[in-house]
Amino acid sequence: MAHRKILQLAASIAVALAGAAQAQSIAVDTARGAVELPGIPQKIVVLDAAAADTLEALQVPIAGVPSKLYVSYLQDLQDRAVPVGTLFEPDFEAIAMLAPDLIVAGGRSSVQVEALAGIAPAIDMTIWGEDHIAQSLARLRSYGHLTGQEARAADLEAAFTAKLEHTRAAVGGRGNAMILMTNGPKVSVYGAGSRFGWLHTALDLPEAVESVAAQTHGEAVSFEFIAAANPDWLIVIDRAAAIGQGNQAAAVTLDNALVAGTTAWRRQQVVYLNAANVYIAGGGIQSMTAALEEVLAGFATGG
Amino acid sequence: MGLLLCLLAAVSLFVGVNRLSPGAVLSDPQALQLLAVSRIPRTAAVLLTGASMAVAGVIMQLLVRNKFVEPGTTGTNEAAMLGLLAVTLLAPSMSLFGKMLAASAAALAGTALFILLARRIPPERPLLIPLSGLVYGGVLTACATFVAIQTDLLQYLGIWMSGEFSGVLAGRYELLWLAGGLAVLSYFAADQFTIAGLGRNVSLNLGLRYGQVLGFGIVTVSLVSALVIVTVGMLPFIGLVVPNLVSRIMGDNLRASLPVVAGTGAGLLLLCDILGRLLRYPYEIPVGTVFGIFGAAVFLYMLLGRRAHG
Repeated sequence: MAHRKILQLAASIAVALAGAAQAQSIAVDTARGAVELPGIPQKIVVLDAAAADTLEALQVPIAGVPSKLYVSYLQDLQDRAVPVGTLFEPDFEAIAMLAPDLIVAGGRSSVQVEALAGIAPAIDMTIWGEDHIAQSLARLRSYGHLTGQEARAADLEAAFTAKLEHTRAAVGGRGNAMILMTNGPKVSVYGAGSRFGWLHTALDLPEAVESVAAQTHGEAVSFEFIAAANPDWLIVIDRAAAIGQGNQAAAVTLDNALVAGTTAWRRQQVVYLNAANVYIAGGGIQSMTAALEEVLAGFATGG
Repeated sequence: MGLLLCLLAAVSLFVGVNRLSPGAVLSDPQALQLLAVSRIPRTAAVLLTGASMAVAGVIMQLLVRNKFVEPGTTGTNEAAMLGLLAVTLLAPSMSLFGKMLAASAAALAGTALFILLARRIPPERPLLIPLSGLVYGGVLTACATFVAIQTDLLQYLGIWMSGEFSGVLAGRYELLWLAGGLAVLSYFAADQFTIAGLGRNVSLNLGLRYGQVLGFGIVTVSLVSALVIVTVGMLPFIGLVVPNLVSRIMGDNLRASLPVVAGTGAGLLLLCDILGRLLRYPYEIPVGTVFGIFGAAVFLYMLLGRRAHG
């Protein structure tokens, strides 16, 4: 079925392009290698928060996005675009109704790429694993290339790189740090190899405990673990806040006798990151810039 | 057995990420603080949870007259979860005590409904009871999952689904003493529960106020389950494995066996928690996972091994 649909689609595209010059096709780097697109897409459906973040920053019009992106700065986009399911489960019917020229999937929706290709050309723009920043910037360049916004992409990259350098300088020599995610009453620690690890690697910020295993969801630890590590800085992400539940705020969870003894807590060197930004839209150019600004602000007031 | 339990508790006090030696406790005020803030609360929380869950399991088994049930297979846990979900959505700022009350009320309703269900099942088909309990619990879980998906609370639900003690500190577990108190209270009704376990007709002929005992049992089981879920999360299996282990050795006279059930539950859970703390030191494995593996092995052995006591 899907095969025949793809063939039909390919045939119709071929017919449509018969008059147009062959040279218009664009090669794009994706998470699964280079992909050939028939031309600059006019109607784009985006199923990943990081992709929506970066495309929005490039001022590219977006036709459809998941009904919830959780990120406050994408609310405008949310109001303009047609809802097309959730981050995990695209609404295939709604997407087909939109008849897009391109579907951008990634992260939580990356497993749906093959199925989505039955509707329109679909690319997987997941940002995952090693070298988070290099990957994110590669996606930014790809988006710039495929939408003809290379100049804007270059500007964004330059601005981000400058901010990164600035932040790296600001955190240099200020001691080590530990990235924590609170989930209700429980805490996990995230190492340099984790999804938030770029804060350690890209900023040259030493880990309070080295070689925390690279786990997607961090390592469950007790408060004693934090007390024993005695980090100079705590970088805190509240998991519940990322999905709109500020029930038991991270500060309340961490405010206890064991954490209170750490250097970070005594000197009020605790940086709270906007959870939705780094957790849901992690890798988006706006999300990463905002995270750097939060780190900068935290290091400016702390200590 | 008491000696073994004390030994485990002592080990638990000195197992953790921070170095703490028995000698330091006497001289170092910081060590004393660590003991008071972290180690003693955690050890107490595990002991109270293990004991009260095992007791809740045995009471449930007597009330339904079936060896294969526990609060985790009769919808009690799931109902408590629904109550907790409801209160999170409707009154998110409610205190822990209020949440506990809501969870308990829901658990009560859920357990009562299950007992009504169980009564309709012919006694000559004993395996139908746990089966229908699992289905019933599955239906409740489905409801909870549906609500959670619609309201983006799925991950939040996950916190309660997997019980573990890494977040336990002084000031964050004290409700569990209530569960422990309930377990002690049920000891005074042990004879009544034993008789109730003989069935409704026999109990009534022996002059037992069957309705009252049943009601007290349901309240105890529901409250214990709700208390444990609200403070540490769901810990299935304990109430199933421990009473069966003890009943194989000691029979079903609750007056004699209840302390052993409580002690075994507390000891086994503590052992699993210590293992969870040590296996991937300094990180933790949730005690629910450790006990799940351990309990499954024991339960399979009991099912496949020699049949004693039926």
